[in-house]
Amino acid sequence: MERKPSIAAGTTYKPKKFISYRLLYDVKAWLVMLPSLVLFFIFVWRPLLSGVFMSFFETQGFTITQFIGLRNYQDLLADPVFHQALWNSVQYTLWSLVFGFLTPIIVALLISEVVHANSFFKFAAYFPCMVPGVAVMLMWGFLFEPSENGVLNVILSMFHLGPFEWLQDQRMTIPLIVIAMTWKAFGGTMLVYLAAIKGVNQELYEAATIDGAGVFQRLWHVTMPRIYNTGRLLLIMQVISVFQIFYEPFIMTDGGPQNASVSLMLLNYNYAFKDFNTSKAMAVGGIVFVILMVLTAIYLKVTRENETE
Amino acid sequence: MSKFTEKTGIISSFDIRRPGVKVLYGVCFGILCIMALLCFFPPLWIITSAMKDIKEFFAVPPTIIPRSFHPEKLVETWNKMNFWKYYLNSFMSIGGCVVCAVVFNGLLAYVISKLRPRGSKVVFTLILWSLMVPGTMGLVPLFSSIVDMHLINTFVPLWLIAGANAFYVVLYKNFYDGIPQSLMEAAQIDGCSNMGIFFRIVLPISKAINMVVIIFAINAAWSDFLMPFLVLKSESLYTVMVKIFTISTGNGGFAADQQFIAITFAIIPPLILYLIFQKQIMGGMANSGIKG
Repeated sequence: MERKPSIAAGTTYKPKKFISYRLLYDVKAWLVMLPSLVLFFIFVWRPLLSGVFMSFFETQGFTITQFIGLRNYQDLLADPVFHQALWNSVQYTLWSLVFGFLTPIIVALLISEVVHANSFFKFAAYFPCMVPGVAVMLMWGFLFEPSENGVLNVILSMFHLGPFEWLQDQRMTIPLIVIAMTWKAFGGTMLVYLAAIKGVNQELYEAATIDGAGVFQRLWHVTMPRIYNTGRLLLIMQVISVFQIFYEPFIMTDGGPQNASVSLMLLNYNYAFKDFNTSKAMAVGGIVFVILMVLTAIYLKVTRENETE
Repeated sequence: MSKFTEKTGIISSFDIRRPGVKVLYGVCFGILCIMALLCFFPPLWIITSAMKDIKEFFAVPPTIIPRSFHPEKLVETWNKMNFWKYYLNSFMSIGGCVVCAVVFNGLLAYVISKLRPRGSKVVFTLILWSLMVPGTMGLVPLFSSIVDMHLINTFVPLWLIAGANAFYVVLYKNFYDGIPQSLMEAAQIDGCSNMGIFFRIVLPISKAINMVVIIFAINAAWSDFLMPFLVLKSESLYTVMVKIFTISTGNGGFAADQQFIAITFAIIPPLILYLIFQKQIMGGMANSGIKG
């Protein structure tokens, strides 16, 4: 599709003049977006690439000293904390799939079906998204207060449960951080599903009803196939975002107890700004970069598939 | 029950007459009520606890529903911590971020969507890739270049980073893609220049999308933590988020009830924003370019 607005049909430019006119048009358009591109270059693209570049060098503070090939990566792979962080990221991913993937779908389905107080429920579900992330994590930190002091323990003791150690219990840290994250984020995802559900052709439901399909059959055979595409996109996005977890454990546990909740990005931060070992930080960054690039490639491929369908 | 008569969706107005389906509907309603409670309880508990008197606040076990109510505690702590200072800093950061977010991302998206010079497709692919890879990835090189540019302890890097936001570019591009090309061609035939088209045609109809991006940018700038935390080293420049983080984790000698109050101060402005602009906020989220 050729859509050059400045070359209106019927204008009679000679070929040579035509080319220079188009060139001029292109140059002007590029000049308009140049400032934005400079910002993207300085603040997004260059840091990413130079991070990968620097991971092959020995560094002193923030300056590179000499090329050492893959030695940073070798050092990193020998570091037990890195193994822990990598394993934790897998755990974060799995738990976030348990809590975070189905919750928005279920809530979206319920909200689209319940006609009473509908906008109130939508308001309530998106409400946590508006609470700033730092405040959310501090808040849940207070709720997860261990001993009989904690609110959650008080509430659970009414049902004769607990008291729990919550975040100080190594086995519970990651699921609890994921619960706090899900609480904060599910509303936004829910709205995306809700839009997809609203887009389902109502006649399909009627047709299914006439064919004798019950409520759950309609849900399974009519609604589900129509939100499948949205679902798989959001699934990949969720995995991508889980690999970026940083401030959640940073604020709630600072990676503890005994590194049980260290994420890859938190490790990256600790190497860079606590140990001042920039090379190692870059190597962590490099590995996460590769993982995310693969996931992003899958994401873009799925997007293209969805659009052609 | 009149709401049922026009009900569409999986459960139709026809089904709802059956008792079994009625029970199912009731269960759905009940689950949503529990969900709403879970969404509202944590922040409300923090806010109401912040206004308990000291004796009740430190009581073991803590009360779920507060017995005492002392809003004057908020004012006291506000003055004691000089909280207006951090609010002012946050507002400084927000102001610049909003301007940069609208101008730079909007123009970039306009060029990609409507002017389409040669090579702009490559630019958009790059933007889509950076939508997925987070800013925290290149954190160390980014930080070191901010140091090199002598921008530590200024708001400038925070502002400019808001001007390079792939998410806003996608939001704008989706909007501009929806403007029919014929509208602009008509203006051109009437003798409107490219500049004229932008300022007289595009800008006036972009009010809605500008509003969405402005609200998102305000909220993002208010909630942003990592960059302000790294860039703003001097206590007098702390934004609200950095302040509540240092209050709660550092040993600044602040008691738990003061921390609750500080968190309350951090929560209230976005909640007011939400109450006023809930339609734009939720609409913007649903149109964020994730197409199934």
